[in-house]
Amino acid sequence: MPERPRTTVEQHERSQAVDPTVPAAMSLPALRPSAVFPLDVLVPQVRLQTPAVGQRATRPDARLHGLGLTRYIDDMSLPGMLHAKIKRAGVASARIVRVDTSAAEALAGVVAVLTGREIPVNSFGPTFQDQPVLAAERVFHAGDGVAAVAAISEQIAAEALERIVVEYEPLPAVFDPLQALEANAPRVHGGASNVYASKTIRRGDVAYGFAQAARIFEGRYRTQMVEHVPIEPHAAIAEWDPNGRVSIQSSLGRITLGRADLARTLGLPMNRIRLSGTVVGGNFGGKNEITLEPVLALLAKKAGRPVKGVFSRAEEFTASTTRHPFIMDYKTGVTPEGRILAREVRLVLDGGAYCSWSETTLGKACILATGPYRIEHLHVEAMAVYTNKTMTGAMRGFGAPQVCFAYESQMDDIAAALGIDPLELRLRNVFEEGSISPTGQVLQSVVIRKSLEQAAQRFGWREGGR
Amino acid sequence: MSEITLVVNGEQRALSVAAETTLLELLRAQCNLTGAKLGCDVGDCGACTVIVDGEAVNACLMLAVQADGRNVVTIEGLAGRARLHPLQEAFEACGSLQCGFCGPGMILSAKALLDAAPDPSAAEIRDALAGNLCRCTGYTKLIEAVQAAGETIRAAATGPRRAAGQE
Repeated sequence: MPERPRTTVEQHERSQAVDPTVPAAMSLPALRPSAVFPLDVLVPQVRLQTPAVGQRATRPDARLHGLGLTRYIDDMSLPGMLHAKIKRAGVASARIVRVDTSAAEALAGVVAVLTGREIPVNSFGPTFQDQPVLAAERVFHAGDGVAAVAAISEQIAAEALERIVVEYEPLPAVFDPLQALEANAPRVHGGASNVYASKTIRRGDVAYGFAQAARIFEGRYRTQMVEHVPIEPHAAIAEWDPNGRVSIQSSLGRITLGRADLARTLGLPMNRIRLSGTVVGGNFGGKNEITLEPVLALLAKKAGRPVKGVFSRAEEFTASTTRHPFIMDYKTGVTPEGRILAREVRLVLDGGAYCSWSETTLGKACILATGPYRIEHLHVEAMAVYTNKTMTGAMRGFGAPQVCFAYESQMDDIAAALGIDPLELRLRNVFEEGSISPTGQVLQSVVIRKSLEQAAQRFGWREGGR
Repeated sequence: MSEITLVVNGEQRALSVAAETTLLELLRAQCNLTGAKLGCDVGDCGACTVIVDGEAVNACLMLAVQADGRNVVTIEGLAGRARLHPLQEAFEACGSLQCGFCGPGMILSAKALLDAAPDPSAAEIRDALAGNLCRCTGYTKLIEAVQAAGETIRAAATGPRRAAGQE
């Protein structure tokens, strides 16, 4: 059993004694100490949250979590609130010929129905505004929303979705990013190419480096699409006040950016939109952009009542962002002792149907693609490619895990081929204090050698504990 | 609509439910007990876990009418007036709750285990929590918390003075 921490009450009282800068009123608990449960210390003391490294700390909100009293979006409801559901296309690439919502509107209990054509500015995105709120003319991937319903119950909303008739004219689709690069591939968003973001990093002269190398290793590494799977699905509640201001409570992480996106899609000035980020049941990068918020806002406006929407688990997988699958070609030239002389990297990011945070991911992946190693000659080129699949976006690490998988896999291949201990191979190449990163940054506080050695020692690497 | 009676957190309740209402909807919408969460609605994630007649169940997969005449415990029924349940204490102390969304279900699965077997092995704990998904903590802290709570509960059972002491 871990050592039981000192009671937080004592900590709290002590902190009050030593920190006169915290106003007395601000230290009052959020709920009175006489509440049913022992809730005395629920006010996070901002200045005192990290008293010192090495001390045990408990989360200020953990008690409410454990009591089941934390209010996530789906735990809240407003008077007269309706429930929204979004109809998903189910086809990867098509032109929308016709959307007939009349049968849904006729269903008792349905209060409002929305299609893409009713959205003031039907596009958004953190980098390029290439994503429709609800597809109006064209479906780019199977998870695209094509219509939405607000009804007095979730069951009625779900029933109404089935009554919406959408006629599609199928269009050619492309699912493989390498095929999407070919000259005759269908263009997901038109234009000259499916490549929508690219980046190159060059240092030294790779041709010279490879010419000096004793051995050259080449390999292709691939990673798959990954969904964040927060246990709490995306959720929001929208409500208008009589003055024409909309208040949205949402599980969204980046509310400042989200408000700008909402202002754009709704055609409203930002001061008419109030967006509150609530307690979130897991984000991991997947709740960094608006999803159902503008749909709920418009449904609420049409209905004249608050509207709540919660993604189904299936929608989490098909209609929210995912981690980019990468196709990574690595070519590395080394000396007989395993010093890396040159490395050439080509990254193809499967971007799915929309850009989302692809540009950020691409940049980070590029900078990190050659690994934490001193390499004089390097060339990295990376591109993000549209395909008719679920869009990819931000997820823990922004492309760093994918390239790490590739360069470390290749390091192991090189170590095995040269008969050098994999740890030793890394120690011969790792960044040192003052090393220069691929983009020219002089690195300080570099502890990678020490970290590797300590880790190896702790789990008995040299003794064969691998 | 069907009339059902059940005991929720020790309190007898008479409720009227539609045939398709799940136990989860009943608890959340009609009893205003929102501690059990809807995570997947298909019995995969365990965020909706409650205890029915001593057994941890996915409330999203159980119809409300099936709970007729039974005893249901939700996360709201664990803490007493004076103190938290040892599992709630341990989950807080061990850093087992991050976003907290899986917490109530996780704690109730653990409670069902500890009620049946107060000194479970790590493997038994893993088995009991296998139906509860967590995406933040990585499970280690959850298992530690269940072990810690088990110790507290066993100490309370064998030596009341030590348990009350709390160091």
